[in-house]
Amino acid sequence: MSNESQSVSDSLQRNQFVARKERLYAWLIAGSAVLTILVTVGIVLALSVNALTFWREISPIAFFTGTNWSPKIAGEYGVLPLVSGTLLVTVCSALIALPVGLAAAIYLSEYASERVRSILKPALEVLAGVPTVIYGYMALVYVTPLIDGFLPIDATVIPSRIQILAIPDWLPAISGFVLALPEFTLVVPSLRTFNALSASIVVGIMIIPMVSSISEDALSAVPDSLREAAYGLGSTKFDVSTKVVVPSATSGIVASYVLALSRAIGETMAVTMAMGMSPQMPYFPNVLKNLAESSQTITAAMVQIAGADSLGTGPTFEAMFALGMTLFAITLTMNVLAELVRRRFREAYE
Amino acid sequence: MATEDESVDQLRQASGTRLRELKGQLFEAALLGATLVGIVSLLILFGYIAFDTFQPLTASAQWYLLYFGTLVAPTAAFTWYARRDPAVRAVNAKAFAVVFGGLAVSLVTYVVADSVSPYDVLIYLLFGAIPPLLVGVYGRTTDERTYTGPAIPVAAVLGLGVAALLYGLVRPVVGIAARWIAYFGITTLPVAGIIGFVVARRWSPRHGVMATAAVLLSALLVAGGLLGVGTDPSFWVVLFSTFVVPVGYVVGSTVGTNSEGRIGVLGPFVLIGGVLAGATLERQLAIKGLESYLTPTLLLESWHGRVASEAGVYPQLVGSIVVVGFMAILAFPIGISAAVYLEEYAPKSGWGSRFATLLEVNISNLAGVPSVVYGLLGLALFRRTLGFGTGIVVSAAGTLGLLILPIVVVSAQEAIRAVPDSLREASYGMGASRWQTLRNVVFPEAVPSILTGTILALARAIGETAPLVMIAVATTTYTPPEGLFSSATALPLQIYAARSSALPEFRHGVVPAAAIVLLALMLVMNATAVIVRNRYERDT
Repeated sequence: MSNESQSVSDSLQRNQFVARKERLYAWLIAGSAVLTILVTVGIVLALSVNALTFWREISPIAFFTGTNWSPKIAGEYGVLPLVSGTLLVTVCSALIALPVGLAAAIYLSEYASERVRSILKPALEVLAGVPTVIYGYMALVYVTPLIDGFLPIDATVIPSRIQILAIPDWLPAISGFVLALPEFTLVVPSLRTFNALSASIVVGIMIIPMVSSISEDALSAVPDSLREAAYGLGSTKFDVSTKVVVPSATSGIVASYVLALSRAIGETMAVTMAMGMSPQMPYFPNVLKNLAESSQTITAAMVQIAGADSLGTGPTFEAMFALGMTLFAITLTMNVLAELVRRRFREAYE
Repeated sequence: MATEDESVDQLRQASGTRLRELKGQLFEAALLGATLVGIVSLLILFGYIAFDTFQPLTASAQWYLLYFGTLVAPTAAFTWYARRDPAVRAVNAKAFAVVFGGLAVSLVTYVVADSVSPYDVLIYLLFGAIPPLLVGVYGRTTDERTYTGPAIPVAAVLGLGVAALLYGLVRPVVGIAARWIAYFGITTLPVAGIIGFVVARRWSPRHGVMATAAVLLSALLVAGGLLGVGTDPSFWVVLFSTFVVPVGYVVGSTVGTNSEGRIGVLGPFVLIGGVLAGATLERQLAIKGLESYLTPTLLLESWHGRVASEAGVYPQLVGSIVVVGFMAILAFPIGISAAVYLEEYAPKSGWGSRFATLLEVNISNLAGVPSVVYGLLGLALFRRTLGFGTGIVVSAAGTLGLLILPIVVVSAQEAIRAVPDSLREASYGMGASRWQTLRNVVFPEAVPSILTGTILALARAIGETAPLVMIAVATTTYTPPEGLFSSATALPLQIYAARSSALPEFRHGVVPAAAIVLLALMLVMNATAVIVRNRYERDT
């Protein structure tokens, strides 16, 4: 009898140990989950502490509205040239990646056979997997000379003095008046060694899969009943794709666009290597010159400071964190925006 | 009939069907073009890089004919032959995986142990592995699992701690032994143990003991023979233990047991034999070969800024491997645990579920943070807060680990989610606890796909440059890292640093070759991930 109770209490004790062990494991596992939040906290703390130190020395107004970024020589910390460089690359790479990515998504979701899809989809993903340092090197060493082979272009699109309306001489009041089209010559100068065009091209290639894979998910989520209804009304595949499927998936497509833009903004190595290190306010009205000249993005400026001044603690070093803060704020806003668009405007098909 | 056709034709014309068909075809062609444009441009750029690296125009036509005859034609013929029979094909794939996997493992083991000193690796391996092994064996013999389960990791950690404490005492004692004995301890002992264990499970314990003894004896014979000739046997001991022995085991057991597919074992040897035969004939017949920039010098020497024929990326390569390896040790346990929490432990209702949602949102946002920002975090955390030196392995690995963490969590989550609930419920129904279910049911089921995700994360990490530039990792070092607190560099950093070299043989030679090495590393990792996934898919 006592022997039995002994063994019962023994097994009870062991159970208690098992329970405690289970609880310990649960705590350990939950602890590592909490660690992921600490990463965010760490990023915010690291950026804000140093950035605030910087903004105590250099006023935020001077930082955000200054048009000269020259931390070493002039000690001026105007972020606008860097923002313009970033925008330049983002817009140009978006011009490549957004239409191409959407078209690829439509093809993969609507047209491609299962076999073609199983080849093309991983092949597209490879574009995002190539290290950006290799993209940068390819832009600098191969893309720029390749494009420069066609340049400079100096083509007269509208020759001078084409008259569309000439007032005849016998009308004395306004005689001699000639209404002519303005002369227009397309001038694309040769590319500099470092230029925005080649950087934008490789960044554009790099973010295609971002657009195509998220958009394709959205397109595939459109229920077949919608497609069948459209076919039933006599639509062609073209009509179904462009007038039914794509509009129904708008929220997902927009979200993919925003995420791709955010990725282009945060892209670092390719733009640092291919676009150079000379911050530049945009040229206007000669817009094409912007593409041919060197410029600098926010990320490239950070890399430049880190490479040159990583041991220092002066305002230039802290400027790096202020730039990082700006970048973090922009990309975070865009990512949250993309998520909101996806949730808010998602059409629920049941 | 004819009139009917005509009327259909008229109807089509009237409704503009032709035009619409044409429009549809043009649209489809445009879509296909858009899908291909990115892929084709990347292929063209890779073509440029490969052209600059291998310089294919420098070789004579005989060279191409020679290698076509010895390498391309036999390999293609064998592959074609092997593909017809599924059994042969499976064995062929397995043989390729074992041969090249074993080769990669032995090279990485030797290179890493060589740079951080084999004696240190031996000390930590012995102290870290023996206590948990003893605990495990005790648990197996007494069938006492309640306490031994948690005791195994504790024993490993304690062993490592003791090793760190006693390092000063033990190191001189271990240092007496010759270098090759240290390598023998690192590679031959564990491999012999594993082979013995596998053989014992498959046949009988007696066979297991014999296999272990055979491996140990033959490794000693190899070492003794080489010592007799007067060469240092260190490298050959490693190669024998981690390449010859596993390949021999797999080839032997396949030939012995799998009579249908045994011919498939030859696959990798046809390839290697073709390369060797080609190289021998090339030298014998004095055929003019490629003046490639991808040379042994590039892989085995350190960087030289001016002379292309002396520039190498060995320290960079080893640095990349050591940094990414240590990063894996830091980030993967945490990432996988976080995924386990989110999928298995997180409450489904109440405040707990809100917390879980917060975690999910947080992780998806972390995945979108630009990599430079992680560099700033690494800079602030490791340099300013913890006061580590500039560009050491620990800070580089830690920074990359933080960067990779959200990717690991998301991929592990997907893997765990894919395990069907019926398995979990069956396990709970048998009275298993949550941890037991996790360890015995969910985890074994999810491991292949977790592995796939983590290997892809490693491949991503090995190409990352921006965070390393931000924490001021040196772009060029002349020796590989000697430990976790020694300075290291990485391969992509060297490509970044060499971008501005104006010398044509660097710009169109050495740097593209370094890029090819980096791409090849990533290709190998991705291929491994695909193999793991395919094997897993076939099994279910």
